[in-house]
Amino acid sequence: MKTLRPILALTLSIFLCATARAELKWEQTTLELHPAVGDKQAIGHFKYQNVGKTPIHFKSVKSSCGCTAAQSQKEQVPPGDKGEITATFNIGDRTGTQVKTVTVETDDAPQPVTLLTLKAVLPEMLTINPAFIFWKAGEETTPKIINVKAGKDFPAKGVKVVSSSPEFSTEVEPVKGGGEWKIKVQPKDTSHATSGTLTITPEVTSGQPRLFYANVSITGAPPAQPPPGAATTPAPSAKP
Amino acid sequence: MLSALRQATLLIALAFLPAIGQALYLRDQVSWDSRDRASEKVDVDLAQSWGPSAMWVDARPDNEFESDHVPGAIPLNEDRWNELLPPFLAQWTPEKKIVVYCSTQSCNLATEVARRLREEAKLPNDIRVLEGGWEAWLKKRK
Repeated sequence: MKTLRPILALTLSIFLCATARAELKWEQTTLELHPAVGDKQAIGHFKYQNVGKTPIHFKSVKSSCGCTAAQSQKEQVPPGDKGEITATFNIGDRTGTQVKTVTVETDDAPQPVTLLTLKAVLPEMLTINPAFIFWKAGEETTPKIINVKAGKDFPAKGVKVVSSSPEFSTEVEPVKGGGEWKIKVQPKDTSHATSGTLTITPEVTSGQPRLFYANVSITGAPPAQPPPGAATTPAPSAKP
Repeated sequence: MLSALRQATLLIALAFLPAIGQALYLRDQVSWDSRDRASEKVDVDLAQSWGPSAMWVDARPDNEFESDHVPGAIPLNEDRWNELLPPFLAQWTPEKKIVVYCSTQSCNLATEVARRLREEAKLPNDIRVLEGGWEAWLKKRK
């Protein structure tokens, strides 16, 4: 046990030194944001204070992806000073929960790199499943179904659907219980490749209605047909 | 000898304590698995060997795509997903493999685009994320 004591003391002293020298204190390194329906950005403020005795300089502030911009208010933080790193997340056409990180590098020796995490929980609006349906060229023109469900943050009374292409007809059918609809899509014919976009407009009681989209397509060329009058390969004779 | 072994075990146990504490504290925030499964990735050599039987999708922001991109790649990013998806689907065929890439600067963008193509659009294709992204492709081009 006697020989163990110096090792334990050394471990403890290293730990205590590291703690004592930590100068930039963050209020939070993880933020969870809940932007409202229609918001274009989610902005997080990571607040800090220099609790040490020497100034701290920011070397770099980098966000993990192009959709998030991060900046610090100042390049140098004198002892005792407070400030914040602002992280702006552009929502764009994203859905679900988004986690983005900002890497802050300083000359604060004990902890030169801090990872800030911005979690944006985007409101659940309409779930469109699947968001794309297709028929292969020459396939039967059987209708296909797109299921639409209103999220808990988006009380829609109904949906209207408009096809960008006259090649596809649509029919909306509400599902019992409310908040869900089936869109029946049918192509006029599948002899040629074409595509279109279905614009889905939810009927909401207040505010500007937001538009949602599904895509439809007829892919590829139909199977080659022999030209009229051309010799055809005889079909194998059926066995008696 | 036994004493040294005991000390070593104790030190290892001590080293584990903060790690376990942090893992418990951050259990909802730390992903233990890579978001891309190995089967969902492809390296540059293999992707290039697919030639015209693959569609290349650029998941980077518009300005990066405009600056330079893999020849023939189609832009499809989440900033303008609703706008960019229809032109992508107009060129899409179910037989082709799809290679999605972003850059190390734009992190998981390719993973997210690949996920949405699989889960939302329900494309039946073999959809892969390019290992090393745009930078890896640039290296091979040189």
